Amino acid sequence: MPKHSSTQLELADELLTLLRAAGTEPRADIQLEALTLAVAADLPVLLRGEPGIGKTAALNQLAEALGLPLTTVIASVHEPSDFSGLPVIGEDPAQQGVPLAPPDWAVRLVRAGRGLLFLDELSTAPPAVQAALLRLVLERRIGALQLPPGVRIVAAANPRASAADGWELSPPLANRFVHLPWVHDPEVVVRGLGGTWPKAVLPRLDPDRLTEAVAHARRGVCGLLTARPTLVHRLPENETRRGGPWPSPRSWEMTLRLTAFAEAAGAGRDVLSLLVRGTVGDGPGLEYLSHLDRMDLPDPETLLADPAAAVLPERGDLQQTALDGVVAAVRNRLDEQRWDAAWALLARAAATGAPDVVVVPATTLASLRKPHWTVPPVIEQLAGAVTLSLEADRAATRVAAAEAGRAAETARAAEAARLAGFAR
Amino acid sequence: MTPPSSLRPRPLPAPPPRRPTAPGTVPAPGTGAPKVPPPTDILHPGDRAKLLAARLQAARARPYLATALFALHLVESSRVPTMAVDRYWRCYASPLFVAQRSVEELAAIWVHEVSHLLRDHHGRSDRYARSRGLSGPGERLRMNIAADCEINDDVYGDGLAEPADIVLPGQLGLAEDRLMEEYLDRFGLGRFTDRFAWLDCGSGADGVEREWELGPHGAHGLSEQERDAVRFRVAEGITGRPGSAPSGWRRWAEEAFHPPQPWRELLGAAVRSAAAGQGAGEDYSYGRPSRRAAGIPGVVLPSLRRRPPRVAVVIDTSGSVSDAELGSALLEVAAISRAVGGARDRVTVIPCDAAAPAVHALCRAEGIPLVGGGGTDLRAGFRRALRGNPRPDVVVALTDGQTPWPAERPPCRTVVGLFPRPIAYTEQDPDYVPDRPPGWARVVEIDGR
Repeated sequence: MPKHSSTQLELADELLTLLRAAGTEPRADIQLEALTLAVAADLPVLLRGEPGIGKTAALNQLAEALGLPLTTVIASVHEPSDFSGLPVIGEDPAQQGVPLAPPDWAVRLVRAGRGLLFLDELSTAPPAVQAALLRLVLERRIGALQLPPGVRIVAAANPRASAADGWELSPPLANRFVHLPWVHDPEVVVRGLGGTWPKAVLPRLDPDRLTEAVAHARRGVCGLLTARPTLVHRLPENETRRGGPWPSPRSWEMTLRLTAFAEAAGAGRDVLSLLVRGTVGDGPGLEYLSHLDRMDLPDPETLLADPAAAVLPERGDLQQTALDGVVAAVRNRLDEQRWDAAWALLARAAATGAPDVVVVPATTLASLRKPHWTVPPVIEQLAGAVTLSLEADRAATRVAAAEAGRAAETARAAEAARLAGFAR
Repeated sequence: MTPPSSLRPRPLPAPPPRRPTAPGTVPAPGTGAPKVPPPTDILHPGDRAKLLAARLQAARARPYLATALFALHLVESSRVPTMAVDRYWRCYASPLFVAQRSVEELAAIWVHEVSHLLRDHHGRSDRYARSRGLSGPGERLRMNIAADCEINDDVYGDGLAEPADIVLPGQLGLAEDRLMEEYLDRFGLGRFTDRFAWLDCGSGADGVEREWELGPHGAHGLSEQERDAVRFRVAEGITGRPGSAPSGWRRWAEEAFHPPQPWRELLGAAVRSAAAGQGAGEDYSYGRPSRRAAGIPGVVLPSLRRRPPRVAVVIDTSGSVSDAELGSALLEVAAISRAVGGARDRVTVIPCDAAAPAVHALCRAEGIPLVGGGGTDLRAGFRRALRGNPRPDVVVALTDGQTPWPAERPPCRTVVGLFPRPIAYTEQDPDYVPDRPPGWARVVEIDGR
């Protein structure tokens, strides 16, 4: 080979190396955080996103952050036997049986003992290949090989709208994944092309919170499913939801695990929400999250025990839910001291937050009074709320009167029209 | 709008400082202390009470919106023309505006503003602008007007006053009860819209951030998941007690988290997966050695055999299904069948009323005589389709569902393209309710969108 061309090639290599050199920066990125958390929790993740938006790039960074070798398998170009094993006829098939030989990448993965297995283009794989993948994802088996626990599985699929010649995931396969919608943030892409990608970091689990996190997650999932048993198992009943996440005992168990991991890692509610909705679906997921919200509200008994030190949620709707809870607790075990304490809480809420939030709990609390109880002086601080309530009443009366007036007007007009028609 | 001069003048405070835009230094929404002091212009205490009394009246008149109303965070600012919301669920109110309005009017405006957020007008505006390549303040004003029309045509009355100077579809010469996107397609800015040029419901209505807004990193904003949670709780409240909410809100609640998908994609996916499933179409087989087998002696490789699926389309030609609907659905099925590998002679079409007289091979989609009319018995069509030799792998039935269904599952996959209909009234049997398609069929609703 002539020398100058080799130099040119070397130069090209050098240029490529320069182009490839990219740094990472820590950056709040909830979808990357959710992916990392789910991978840490050893749950199979399915990234759903348009082709060419950097799912593979994200996987490369994830593998680097976790220090795991990345094995990419394009599911759509394989045959079922590549995942269930190829039958190899030996000496005496009738006696020895026909063993199923695993493909080489699986052998390498098992030999390494750890790694990140990336199954790309899952949704363009024919149903028969998907069926073979079921076993790989669920039982972590390829042919006769058992994947070691150090191997994590991530898959990627195109959304149905852009998978023109694709198949959708069968419900059993869909149910085994945490579905994460993968969208590109233009800012991240620009930073990345400029040489800096967001950094995926393994969530730092707090050793002191492990037990508590498990208890919290169990309380959350069991609490919701006790109250709403129909959410335990619900096959996607219409075409729109096929191929997506849906609730089943399996996916609820995944939700439990994700909640515990999020709690122990101190992850934000946004990350957990992304994960949970990707596991049991939007409806059940949101219901679970609002159940967790209610669980996180301050305990009514704690509030009643020391109203002066009470910390109430700032958001109006949550504050009203908390106060409703307090009033319900007083109603359940009614005595004058608790009743007084509840008034003190309401007065605090009215002074610090929006007084209109207090009106409904105050009305209910007032109705619980026994005749011989004296009205606590703190109630005077609620005068503002009472005025508000009266003013709202007056406005409602005015609206009703105006509506009645208009209705009467319409009726009169109709009557006049009828008479006119009759006269003619 | 300019305030009447009789109003007691108030000193105008300095404009609020602009919020810092350096990324990375600001706390995530909803967490941490505010970095920017809130605008200094404060409502007169009496007016603040008036505004809150109005929220209370709104929550009493519309109990199913109470959660959303109380989740709004009130920001007082004289730089807002009237009342406005941003997409982080902050509600901005101008002291001057509040002073001018009655409690009942303010209550209606609370509901109006929260409706923008619940109906995701900012997100829909963004999507509309992106899909049509629209930009510029004029277009956003148009979106604000269209969003207002969507709300105003059905939100007032029944305990909620109608504010004096709102925009209604009728004023633009448009029919009521449409969606924002439909209004947008039907009017342009001009003579009729000049009087609404002051309208400004903030970025919560049209997606464009205003200078007075606190932005994503300001205090008391709701994060995306919190916003979804509030919307979900409102939707849950409406679907849980369907009696109390009007039909517009019930429809919103049903679709809030499951927007209807275009039926073409769904029908395509259903036919494709039916045609590709076991026993039809492509599958692996050990029946003949694979091409790869020659290179690996001793290993048995399966090979991919193609059996193009045979698709029978049973078409309900009774009087209740329109030709336009049928034509469009039929073209769709034909295109999908070809895409999954069916040759033209493998798609048969069976027009079916009570008798299912003829079978046609699909040569040209437009060449099929769709004769019929009157009552339908789809069972005849199914019988006819299954009697075919060779038997079809997939039966696709296109119908409005006002027909008896086969009593037992046919021995092949079945996809039903259903044209939704209000229940037909017949004099012979006024209580007649058609059966839903049976559970063994995959049902795709075809709604003309």
